[in-house]
Amino acid sequence: MIHHIVRKEFADMIRDGRFRWSAILVGSLLLVSLAHGWVQARKASQELTAAQATAREHWETQGEKNPHSAAHYGVYAFKPRLALSFVDEGVDPFTGTSVWLEAHRQNDFLLRPAQDATAAQRIGALTAAQVLQHLVPLLIILLTFGAFASERERGTLRQLLATGVGWRELALGKALGASGALALLLVPAAVAGAAALVVASPAPTASPLARGAVLAGAYLAYFVVFLALSLAVSARARSSRTALVFLLAVWVVNGLVAPRVAVDLSKRVYATPSAFEFARTVEREMADGVEDIAPPDRDESTKRLLAEYGVERVEDLPINAVGVYLQESEEFSNRIFDRNYGALWDAFRRQGILQEALAAAAPSIAVRTLSMGLAGTDVEQHRHFAEAAETYRRDLMRQMNGDMTENSLTGDFSYAAGAELWESVPPLEYEAPPLGWVLGNRILSLAVLGAWLAGAVLLASAQVRRAEVA
Amino acid sequence: MTESQESHTGAAPLLEARGLTKDYGGTRALDSLDLAIAPGEVYCLLGPNGAGKTTTINLFLGFVAPSAGQALVAGLNVSTHDRESKRRLAYIPEQVMLYRNLSGIENLEYFAALGGQGSLGRERLVEILVEAGLDGDAAGRRVSTYSKGMRQKVGIAIAIAKEADALLLDEPTSGLDPTASSEFSALVERLRNRGVAVLMATHDLFRAKDTGTRVGIMHYGRLVTELSTAEVGHADLERIYLEHVSDNGGPR
Repeated sequence: MIHHIVRKEFADMIRDGRFRWSAILVGSLLLVSLAHGWVQARKASQELTAAQATAREHWETQGEKNPHSAAHYGVYAFKPRLALSFVDEGVDPFTGTSVWLEAHRQNDFLLRPAQDATAAQRIGALTAAQVLQHLVPLLIILLTFGAFASERERGTLRQLLATGVGWRELALGKALGASGALALLLVPAAVAGAAALVVASPAPTASPLARGAVLAGAYLAYFVVFLALSLAVSARARSSRTALVFLLAVWVVNGLVAPRVAVDLSKRVYATPSAFEFARTVEREMADGVEDIAPPDRDESTKRLLAEYGVERVEDLPINAVGVYLQESEEFSNRIFDRNYGALWDAFRRQGILQEALAAAAPSIAVRTLSMGLAGTDVEQHRHFAEAAETYRRDLMRQMNGDMTENSLTGDFSYAAGAELWESVPPLEYEAPPLGWVLGNRILSLAVLGAWLAGAVLLASAQVRRAEVA
Repeated sequence: MTESQESHTGAAPLLEARGLTKDYGGTRALDSLDLAIAPGEVYCLLGPNGAGKTTTINLFLGFVAPSAGQALVAGLNVSTHDRESKRRLAYIPEQVMLYRNLSGIENLEYFAALGGQGSLGRERLVEILVEAGLDGDAAGRRVSTYSKGMRQKVGIAIAIAKEADALLLDEPTSGLDPTASSEFSALVERLRNRGVAVLMATHDLFRAKDTGTRVGIMHYGRLVTELSTAEVGHADLERIYLEHVSDNGGPR
């Protein structure tokens, strides 16, 4: 019997001009945003490859110079884009995707398009994730708010129920019929997305297809939540207008209000300093030290070396004491960075966890977090790359200072290393975290989305059971 | 059938009310209705608005639960055998509402399938629609182009397709022109001859006398009198009706 209901709902829906136009609009936006995202991601990936090659070439051909000067010359590190980033660019436009690695400093990331974009440009840059998170649920509401309420108003519900069909069969048939109509819109987009993934997949270790499958599952669960909520409201509302107004209010809270409130609340609970305050704190601590982290004392360092090597004068040391001191300075600044950046990242992590928990009030927060995570564009994966880049920077500085220490003497300002040293420094080979790592970070969002799914289905089931004919 | 009593014709009734009562808040919409309609009977419920006619039909359809008493369809208590009792019933409301984006054939196919008839072939569906009085050419058109009379005919076709034992009609000829009303009566007559028990709520005394085998007059939720249409003329029926509905009894 259900297949008759599904078939009728599907036919009724796709013959409805309102559905056709809204589906064409949302479908077009989805495909355009996917295509735009893919083109942008591909372009960015090509630019990244070119920039990496250029940066490497600059490093290797910087000419002969003191290794510490080379450490100040620095190198650029570029965060590779994962294949799914074309679906959801996440925090990348805000956090940036490249960083200049140099001596004594842990620099901010560069290439932050959001920083330079006008408000209009930000709104205009509709991503596939935004279409999936906001417009598809709106379409689901528009398709299903009248599932029961409109039938009740028109009088067809009495006739339907008089046939002996049960409420549950009717609800399931309507849900599947609407899903079929939505599939007309979403399946081509999913196929296009999968094809784009296969074509654009640059990093097999980041398991793009598995990430894509989980991402599709997360969005599917999110859509079912809206479908079930819409049917529940439609089953109980006194009129289709009431159902529509209520569901639109839910949509606004879910998509616009709750995410904003969640961000503001998490910032209030786990406050983070402004960029200016943070920079000043780091600068102050770098100058004076803090608590048990004291800046290196050059005289003490020299005395220790003299004692270690059993000589009286620095000129008699077989190594360059300045190189040792510079490395000690690096170690000191690293501890200051670890202390401050560690606290900052921890605050971000706590903010993130609170936001994930607040998804209990709005499923969009859960699906957004999962979407960014699976696309490789969330804060955690930004941190993952930032830490890899910082580790690389420290290794690079250690190598430069070590070369200077080992191959020159104190006071010898003429020592210069060449291409052989620069080439011996391996390029940063960043490996994005695997799917398991991402899902491990997103257990809370998965659980909350699962709870929403179960809750919405149970609610729909209960409301349909209690629904009235007239 | 074991739960049922015999109707006045001697056959086991297909539609039966036993002390059927419905209260909405403090208002009694239906008061201890006792009724038994046998196969091949057309029972017309007459009465002004608020007399309890539609409440009676809603109780037989299981759309509302009785406050007391029982509604039985083919001996099955509607409250405890909701689906089985509905399978034995067909229902045509005052205004048959259909899906505008579907054709007459598609609407009939849908309702018939939900009514347990499975997938009837297109030919059979057209045949039923034509039997119900719909023009064969119109059957394939979208219902959005149909008049009220055409929609009512699709409603009748739905009832025919269901091959139900009992038919509930709620003001089915309201708003139909005289020709369409006559056609409708002829169809009810055909169903009656097939042994279908019909309960028709109506304001139309002429149609009740013409179509019904028995008439019950309701007022303020009570069945105040019952007549055999064979024993009264049109004028008598009107007089008796007015006598009963213009009294001073009020809602309890």
